[in-house]
Parts: sequence; C-alpha cells; structure tokens
Amino acid sequence: MRSSLGILLLALTGLLVYKLDQPMGSLPALGRLVDPINGCWTSAEDADKNFTETISIPSLSHNAQVWFDARMVPHIHAASDHDIYYLEGYIHAYFRLWQMDMETRAAAGKVSEVIGIKGFEFDRKQRRKGMIYAAEQSLKAMEADPRTKVMMDAYTEGINAYISQLKFRDFPLEYKLMGFKPEPWTNIKSALLLKYMADDLTGATDDIPLSYLREVLSPEIFQLLYPESITGSKTIIPHGTIFEKPSLGKPTAPANTIFPHFTKKDFKETREDGIGSNNWAISGSRTKSGATILCDDPHLGLNLPSLWYEIQMQSPGMNVYGVSLPGAPGVIIGFNDSLAWGFTNNYRDVKDFYLVKKVEGNNKKYWFDGQQRDFTQRLEHIIIKGEKEFVDTVNYTLHGPVMYDERYAAEGGLGKPLAMCWMAHRSTNELLAVYQMNRAKDYNSFVDGILNFQCPAQNMIYADKAGNIAAWGQGQFVNKWKDQGKYIMDGSDKAALWGDLIPMRENPHVLNPPRGYVFSANECITDSTYPYWYNQSFVEFRAWRIDQVLDTLPKATIQDMFALQNDNYSVLAANMLPLMLRLLPDSLGDREKGYANQLRNWNYRLSAGKTEGSIFQVWWFYLYNKTWSDLSSVPSLLYPTPERTMQLLQQADSGKVKLKELENLPQLMSVSLRQAADSLEKARKKGLEWYKVKNTTVSHLSRLPAFGFSDLKIGGWGNTVNAAKGNHGPSWRMVVQLGKEIEAYGVYPGGQSGNPGSKYYANFLNQWVAGRYNKLLFLPFSDKQNTTEIKYTWTINK
Amino acid sequence: MRFILFIILVILLTSIGEQFLPWWMIAVVPFGISLFMNMKGGTSFLAGFIGIASFWFVAVLMKDIPNDHILSGRMAVLFHLSDYGLLIFVVALLGGIVGGLSAWSGALLRK
Repeated sequence: MRSSLGILLLALTGLLVYKLDQPMGSLPALGRLVDPINGCWTSAEDADKNFTETISIPSLSHNAQVWFDARMVPHIHAASDHDIYYLEGYIHAYFRLWQMDMETRAAAGKVSEVIGIKGFEFDRKQRRKGMIYAAEQSLKAMEADPRTKVMMDAYTEGINAYISQLKFRDFPLEYKLMGFKPEPWTNIKSALLLKYMADDLTGATDDIPLSYLREVLSPEIFQLLYPESITGSKTIIPHGTIFEKPSLGKPTAPANTIFPHFTKKDFKETREDGIGSNNWAISGSRTKSGATILCDDPHLGLNLPSLWYEIQMQSPGMNVYGVSLPGAPGVIIGFNDSLAWGFTNNYRDVKDFYLVKKVEGNNKKYWFDGQQRDFTQRLEHIIIKGEKEFVDTVNYTLHGPVMYDERYAAEGGLGKPLAMCWMAHRSTNELLAVYQMNRAKDYNSFVDGILNFQCPAQNMIYADKAGNIAAWGQGQFVNKWKDQGKYIMDGSDKAALWGDLIPMRENPHVLNPPRGYVFSANECITDSTYPYWYNQSFVEFRAWRIDQVLDTLPKATIQDMFALQNDNYSVLAANMLPLMLRLLPDSLGDREKGYANQLRNWNYRLSAGKTEGSIFQVWWFYLYNKTWSDLSSVPSLLYPTPERTMQLLQQADSGKVKLKELENLPQLMSVSLRQAADSLEKARKKGLEWYKVKNTTVSHLSRLPAFGFSDLKIGGWGNTVNAAKGNHGPSWRMVVQLGKEIEAYGVYPGGQSGNPGSKYYANFLNQWVAGRYNKLLFLPFSDKQNTTEIKYTWTINK
Repeated sequence: MRFILFIILVILLTSIGEQFLPWWMIAVVPFGISLFMNMKGGTSFLAGFIGIASFWFVAVLMKDIPNDHILSGRMAVLFHLSDYGLLIFVVALLGGIVGGLSAWSGALLRK
C-alpha cells in the first residue's frame, strides 16, 4: 500500500519535473529557466562587476590589450590585422551574442527554426528575395581579397573562441527563454548581416505601386502628383556643382511597350514609409574653433540590444573609433586620427522588377530575347520548430530570382511572375571599403576606400583635420535610360536589361563647396545638371531645416550641433499651419475652435511635453488622408508624399493648380479638423502631450515588452531633424570636431551590453531621450595607456 | 536532529550536484537521501521542501542583491508579477514543491 502510494507519488513528481523541463506553448521550460545555478539568474550581472582579467588566447600572433572605459566601450590594441579582428569578434560575442545570432537568422530567413510557425511568412519572404544567394555572392568577393579574407576569418575565429567555451549556464538569457543554443559562427553569417543592412536600406522600391498608378492615373495627373524630383529640393550635391563629363553615353529609351500593362484588378494596395537620416560637415571657415565638424545620425529601427556597438580599434596603420555592427568586422561609422565620416541612406533605385514570360506548358523555361531559357532552381529549406520542414522552389532568371509568382503574390496582391534585379545580389565587397575607410589618412585614400562601397548606396559625408569637407552619393549604379526600372519591365525584352555600370568615380560628389558646409538627409541627390538618369522617392523636410540652420550659423560650435541633431522644428508645420488656419471657415464648433486657437501662437516645435505638436500632427494626418481619399481609387498607402501634398495645397490655394481633390480647401480643413478633434478627445485619457500621443518605443528584438521601453519623453517626428518616430529614429548621434585634438561626442538609445540583466543594457537611453551626449574617449595609438578613464583591462596573452 | 541533518544534506548535495548536472538535481537529491534516511513521509516532504526552497532562495538572493534587482525586476514584468520579491518567492516555492514531493516519494518507497 505504502509503496504503491510511493510509486504513484514518484510518477507524479517525475511528471512535474518532466513538464518543468519542457517548453509549454510559447512559455520556456520553467524549471530550467528559474534555476538559480544554471538558469536565468546567471544573467544577473553584479552591478559592481570587475571586468578586469587576464585571458589566454593562443591563436593570437602577439599579446594584446583591451581597455574598457566607464561606459564599457572597449579600446583594443593589437599587433596585427588578424589579432584586431579576432578580438573584435570575441568582444562582440561576449556582449552581444544572441543579437548577432538573431539578426543573421533574420537576414537568412531562418527565424522559424527557433520561434516556430509565427516566423514563417517572414522567412519565406527573405528566401524569395534571395538573401542567402546575395550573401553567397558577396562572400565570394570578400574571400577573394586577402585583406577582407583575413578580416572575416579572424573575426569568425574570435566569435567561435568565445562560443566554444560556453555551457548552458553561460548562454545569454534569451537563449534560455527561447530554448535554443548558439551555433558556431561562419563567414557567411557576417555576409548575411551586411545584406540585412542592404535590404533594410535599399529593399523598398516603388516599382510595383507605380506600375499600378500608371494604370489608374492620366499621365498629367501622374506627373503632377509623383514628380521625379521636388521643386526647391536642397540637393545633397549643391546646385552649381560642375559634374565631370560622363564617360558613358545616354542610353536610348526603348518603346513604351517595354512596360507591361496590368489591370486594376491585379492589385490591392501597399506602401511603406521610408527611412531617414541626417549628416553634415562644416568647414573650419564656419566654425568657432576653426576646425571642421562632422555630424551624423542614421535613423534606423530602434531596438535593444542596439544595432550599434561602440568600439575603438588600434592595430598597425589604424586607430579608429566609432560604431560597429555586432556580426560584422570593422567600424562602420566613426572617425580615425585623421578624418571622420558619416552615412545616410541614398535612395537611388537599385532594385527593379521584370515580368517573366514563362514558356507555356513548361515550368522550367522562360522567354528571353525570342529564345527559351532554363530557370536555375534553388530549393529553400525552411525549418520550422514544431512543424514539418517547408521547401520552396525559387526560380532564378538572368535578371535575378522570381520573387513573386502565382504561389507567392507581390504587394497589392499581384500574382504574376516577377523577377527581381537587385544590386545587393551582385558580388560586392563593402567590407573592403570599411577596411580602407578605417585606415584612410586623407581625402584621396578615403575616396579610394569608398569606391568599393557598392550596395547599399550611401550618402557619405566626410571631414578631415586638414580642413576638407566632402559629400559623396556613393554606391554602384547602372547607366539607365529614362524611366528604366521605374515601373515593372518586360523581362523577355533584351532592351530592358540593366546596362553598363557607371564608373564609381563619376558618382555625384563635391569637395569643399564655397558655402562651407555639406549635408544630406535623404533628399534628392543632384539637380538636373547631373548627366545620368536616376529615380526614387526622396524626402525633403529635414534637408530644408538643416540647410536653414547651417546657413545662419557663421561660427558653429559643438553645442550648436547638439541642438541641431535634437531639433524638433517642423518645416511642414511652419509652411502648412498658417494656410490651414487661414482657410478654416468661421462656422466651426467650439471644440474645433479651441484646438485651432491653441495653435495660433505655436513655435512649430514638436516638443515632447507640449500639446501643440499633437494637435497639429493629428490634424495634418486627417488632412493628408482626406485630401487623397477620393483620388481615383488610389490605395491609401500610395498617396503622394507629404512634401508634394504640401506644395499642391499651397498651389491650389494660390490658384496655380487645379485639381478636383483640392477644389474646396475650407471644407477640407474643417472636416479634417473635426476628425482630428474626435481623435484627440479619445487620446485625452492617456494625455495629449506629444510624446504620449506618438509613443516612441525602443523594444527588445524578441518584442518582449518586459525588456523594452515605451512612451519615451522625446520630441520630434519624421518631418523634423530629430526624427524620433514610433519605433524608428536616430540610432546613433555623433558629433566630431577635427581640431589638433579630436573632440568627439556620441550617444545611442541602448547600452554596450546585450544582457537585459546588466546595468549596461540600456544605460544610454535616458541621455539619448534628453538629447545629452557622452564624450568619447579616443586613446592615442599605444600599447600602454595612462589615463584614469580606463576602468577595466583585459590583458590578453597569446 | 535527523530533520536538520536531512536539510543540510539536501542543500549540500544539491548545490554540488547542480554544478555538474541540470536543475532537476533538486528532485534527484532529496529523493535519494530520503531513500536512505528513516523519516516519515510528511516529515520528509517538509525537510525536502525547506531544503530546496531555502537553497534556491538564498542562491537567487546571492545573484539578485549584487545585481540591484535589475534582472529580477524585468523577469517579474515578463511573468506579469507585481514585483521582484514575489518572483523570488514563487521561484523558491516552486523549487520547494519539487524538492518536497521528491523527498516524500523517496520516503514512501523506502523498504
């Protein structure tokens, strides 16, 4: 009796232990997780942890040092290229392993393997885009160059040296929560990470929506609403810059039949908001110190662990500081002892779609130039946790992968076979550019470096100690005929093929323009005197504001730069609001009148704690949508840009433009204000302060709210320089003054550690929100450092 | 006296065992000890419970206090618990239940 009760109890206990050792649904294995010895508690990092230690790494060529300052920024001194990238890999893995793993999984479309079916649609899209194919192509180029080969191999070695010593107990917290474990790093993963950036920055394209608009709008209206460049653009390469004579002739545009027609029924809708960034450099003639100043704040998705990791790296011929991407070697944005550089995204279109004409009755062939060609098939095996593997067959044409077809519809539900031709699929070696930029000594060696930067195209702003400033619209571009790639093209026609590559030295650039400053904020790159044709939608509001401020700063200081990067002044509001208020009819309700009156003395700043920004932005939101909602059935996400809308409303008011949608402006204003008032009444419960209405959030990559931060008290929006939107914004603010001694400041919304149990996890966040900066410790090149600012030291013996 | 000895043995052997083997040592150890120690079922449960619960409780505190409750605070939010104190209590309780039940079944199976 006793023992049968015992067996029963034992069975029950066994079952309980078994259950606690297994994940349940989306819950992790609780027993394993909460165990104080091996579970999550090992991530509870001692707040006073002493990071100083001696580490033995036999595979290094020489001894090395890593000094950590109080913010846990590592300053590495190593004796060879191999050693420096080895240590960078080791350190990235030490602080950010799970993030590197997840980001490369995301790039490759291997997320479902660890999160199950909910990652499937995402994975499938990545596979269809040919992300792994793209990384394989670039890896060939990276491994073919001896410099980048060493860089990648050593970086991978360093990561694996760190991973190989880990037991379950040492895994970053997220592995324990999600129930998987780190796998060895390979070079392809670094290549994937770089393609992830390329996809983030050049992935969006309007080809498909524009093909739709071309069907539903008359050519005149189309031109009016979607002009190729916007009037008054403060182009990145200033007006008046003389471009070199082009080495390539202007290709002739083929007949219009090159663009296949679709019917309205082929589409539904879609369009995503672009991403933006700002950078600028000021010549010494316009700064108080007389030294050049360079500023950069790339706007990207705001996540934790942060995309960026601050680092200083010293090895023979190199002393560089800046932000790196955990998962890839080198410093991406930063400065060295001679010069500084910053990037914003260059929106020139490098991704086009072709309608594939399949051979009827033969799934393996397609037509090109009157001949049948074979698809190259690529099998994409998507492993899904808890489900059967999914195998997707992706056909590759000479243009690129057939991303969409009847089995996988394009945006707008267009179920036609569309092949994608994308610069990111080419065998390019951006790492070589990183390698060279990090070591550049002057303008010429910098330019030599960036000429290897092909995709994603970037607006690169440059400044050096010698007093030079420059801007380059840098990337690999194709010599296109007018309108090539603007719409979906006929994939069977030879004339639609991408032609010659434009020699990189002919990319738009300017060195030391007379006005004494250069800047970019994702606006149009050149005026019409640039000899090559290109397209894409550019944004202008931030560029207008930056130009306005820089133009009136004869003696710029570092403080001025901080102020400009955190500037919440809305050019949209300044231009639109007077018109909106003036056009309001008298017959308004009291509530609407109240809101309108609150805006009458506003300074057009989207300040965090004020309500005017909320009222204006909500009103503008309804006005914008109301304006275009009747536009011959254009889906909501295909509306003309806010810049163009603003101009058209102004022109309609002055009678320069006649458009059905803009006939009754007073009515537009009052209806949209009423809608805004309704919406604001609802928002009142939470509070009408601008930061509460917009809710800037920095979330953990797993989207677990417990590890993220929301309702951050930061001002600004996409139309202000401080473009802090919902989950997108200035991912790294940097200001560098290149005097005799370099004086640099920076901040990003996160912290150096990826561990949510570390005090270094998000310790820069409040500074970032408040617009404050860290002074960056830039150590002189030496294997011995004598400063009290070093808090911990890793002595690394080979 | 035997009761105290039981608890001390549980704490000692579990803390050693968990260095090398996973968390379920908190079940194996109390079960094993109660197989060899002459103690009634209910008393075994109590000793196993107190042994594991206090071991886990102290082990968590040794991590949590120097950490300034950063991790426990975030984990509490994750599990929708009101604060980190409650989380630590629940963790100790969970460990205690597993330890107690194992000790009890060991005592019942002792010949």
